[in-house]
Amino acid sequence: MTTAVDVRNLQKQYTMGSTVLDVLRGVDLTINHGEIVCVMGPSGSGKSTLLNIVGGLDRPTGGAVIVEGDDLATMDDERLADYRRHQVGFVFQSFNLIPTLSARGNVELPLVFAGLARSDRASQATAALESVGLGHRLEHKPTELSGGEQQRVAVARAVVNGPAIILADEPTGNLDTTTGNEILDVIKAMNAEGRTFLITTHDRAVAEAVAHRIVHFIDGSIVEIEQGGLA
Amino acid sequence: MRFRDLAFLVVSNLRRMKLRLALTALGVVIGTSAIVLMVSLGVGLQKSVVASLGDLGAATHITVMGGFSGQPGMPESEPLDDRAVARFEGMDNVQAVMPIVTAMVQDMTYKKNTTNMTVKGVPVDSLKAFGFEIAEGRLPRNDKEILLGDAVPLKLFDLSATENTNKAARLELIGRRIVATVVQYPTEGEVAKDPAAAMQEPVEERHKLTVVGILAPADVDTDSSAFISLDTALAFNGITTRRPTYETIIVKADSAETVAGIEKILTNEGFMTFSARTIQEGLKQTFVIIQVVLGALGAIAMIVAALGIANTMTMSIYERTREIGIMKAVGASNRQIKRVFLSEAAIIGVLGGVGGLVFSTAGAALANLFLQSMIAAQSNGAVSQPGTTTFFYIPLWLAIFAIVFAASVGLLSGVLPAVRAANLDPLVALRHE
Repeated sequence: MTTAVDVRNLQKQYTMGSTVLDVLRGVDLTINHGEIVCVMGPSGSGKSTLLNIVGGLDRPTGGAVIVEGDDLATMDDERLADYRRHQVGFVFQSFNLIPTLSARGNVELPLVFAGLARSDRASQATAALESVGLGHRLEHKPTELSGGEQQRVAVARAVVNGPAIILADEPTGNLDTTTGNEILDVIKAMNAEGRTFLITTHDRAVAEAVAHRIVHFIDGSIVEIEQGGLA
Repeated sequence: MRFRDLAFLVVSNLRRMKLRLALTALGVVIGTSAIVLMVSLGVGLQKSVVASLGDLGAATHITVMGGFSGQPGMPESEPLDDRAVARFEGMDNVQAVMPIVTAMVQDMTYKKNTTNMTVKGVPVDSLKAFGFEIAEGRLPRNDKEILLGDAVPLKLFDLSATENTNKAARLELIGRRIVATVVQYPTEGEVAKDPAAAMQEPVEERHKLTVVGILAPADVDTDSSAFISLDTALAFNGITTRRPTYETIIVKADSAETVAGIEKILTNEGFMTFSARTIQEGLKQTFVIIQVVLGALGAIAMIVAALGIANTMTMSIYERTREIGIMKAVGASNRQIKRVFLSEAAIIGVLGGVGGLVFSTAGAALANLFLQSMIAAQSNGAVSQPGTTTFFYIPLWLAIFAIVFAASVGLLSGVLPAVRAANLDPLVALRHE
C-alpha cells in the first residue's frame, strides 16, 4: 500500500494569555491509500486539531504533514486553498451546507472554486449525489432534507473533487443510530472504491464498524493503535 | 472561479437580503442624484452662458485693439494703421482683416424718429469676407450710402409701432434717406496749434445718407449697428491724415482652432485682443471650478451612501461568517472570497448609480420645465424662446461618470469588509453560530 498522508512529529501549541497549551505533542501517523483510520479520544485530546491540520484549515507549530509529496507546513494561504480544493474533502458533524444552494449546488461548490465548466460540474455533482443515494433529491435545499440526507450531501461534496483523503469530524455525531449507520455504509462503500478516510469519533462502535485502524489519542499524543473492524 | 459562477453566487447572495439591498441602494440613488443634479446644474448654466456668448461674434473673429496687452514685460503695440492691416493679412492662418473706425455719429433720424446707434466705418468690400450677409438691398458704393444692421429698422427706428412686419419695415427703409448727426471735436492737430481750440464747442453737422441695404441677423453688436465706408467715417471724424489709425481691426482666422495661436502672437506683440472663443475658454475654466464645487457638495450624500454600503456589507459578512468558513473549507481562496464580496458591493453601487441617474434625469427634466415656465410667466412673454434656457443638463459623460463613480464607491466601500471576510480564519468562521 502506498502512503496517502504522512504525519511526522506533529506539534501544535496554543497560547492563551501566559498559558501555553500543548494540543499535539509530536504525533507520528501514516495513512495509506484506501485506508480508513479512525481517531478516538476524549474531548480536548487533540483529534480534531489533527484533522484540521491535515485538512489545511489550521497550521502546525512544528513537524510536518506530507500529502502526496507536499509538506503542508511550508504552504502559503493560496497553496493551502488550492490543496483544500483538490486534495482533501471535509465532512463535518453539523453538515455545514450552504442553505441557499440546492443539494447539487452545494456539491458543485468545490468545483466552482476549481473553475470547472458548468456542464462538467453538473455531471460530476449528479454522479456524486447518485453515489450516496440522493439522485432524486438534486434540487432540494438543505432545509428540505433530513439530517441523514444532509450528511450524505456533505459526503458527496467531500468526494466530488476526487481528493487524496476525506476528513470526517464526528460524521455521525448529529445523527440517530440508524441514520448514522447509513452514513457509515456510504463511507464503507466509498472506501471500497479506493477512497481514503481519516475520521474522528468518540464512539467506539463507529470506529470498530468502519476503520481499518483505530488510533487512540490522549492529551495530544497517540497512546495506542489497534486494528478496526475492516482490517 | 468563472465570471458566470461569480455572478450567480453574487446574485443569489443579494437576493436573500432584498430589503437591505433596496435600502442601501437607495442611499446610493440619493448620493448619485445629488452629484448628477449639482454637476448638471453647472453644465446647464455653462451651456446657456456659452450659447449666449455666440452673440459676441463668430468663433473665428479676433478683435484687435492697440495699446498695452496687459501682459507684464510686453511692449506697447505698434499703431493700428494700414501697415498693421497689411501685416496681419500676411500672417499664417489669417483669412481676412477688417479695420473699423467708429464714426462720431450722435444720433440718426428717419422721418420723426431719432435714435442712437453705432455707425461703423469699414472697407465695404471686406464685409462679405467676414460673412456679413445682405438680407435686403446691396452694399454701399459711395460715401452717401449706408447699410443697416438687422435690428435697426424695427428696434431703433421703432417701425413696429406702425404695425409693419419686419420685412415690410426693412423694405420701407431701402432707398430712403436718414440723417446722421455728426459731432466733431477739435482734432489733436488743431489743439496742438492752438490750445484754446480745446475749449471750443463741438461742431454739429448733419449728413444725409441713403439706406441701400439691410444685413441678415448676426451677432447683437452687428444687428444694432450701421455701416458706412471707411473714408466716410474718417471724414465724419475729421481725420484727414494719409496714415490714419483705427480703433480696432478684426482679424478672421481660417478656423476656430487657429484663433488661439493668432491671438497669442498678437498679444505677444503688445496688442490687446479678444474673441468669443477665448472668452468661452476662460468661462469653461470657471465653470469647471463651479462644477467641481457643486459636485463636491453632492459628494457629501455619496459619502453617507458609501458608509451605508460598508455597513451593509459588514453586517452581511458577520451573518455569513459560517458560510465563508464553508467556502474556504471547500477550497475558496482569499482572493475568491474577496472577489465575491467586492462584486456584491459594486453591484449595490451600480444599482444605486443607475437608479440615481434615472431619478436625476427625470428630476432635471421636471426642474427645467418648471423653471422655464416660471421665467416665461415672469417675463410676461418677453422672452422670445422660453424653452431654450437649460438649467440642468446631463451630458453623456456625466451619465457614464455617475454610474462608474457609483460602482467605484460601492467597490471601495466593500474593500474593508471584503478584506475582513477574506482574512477570516476558516476554523473560527466554521465555529461561528
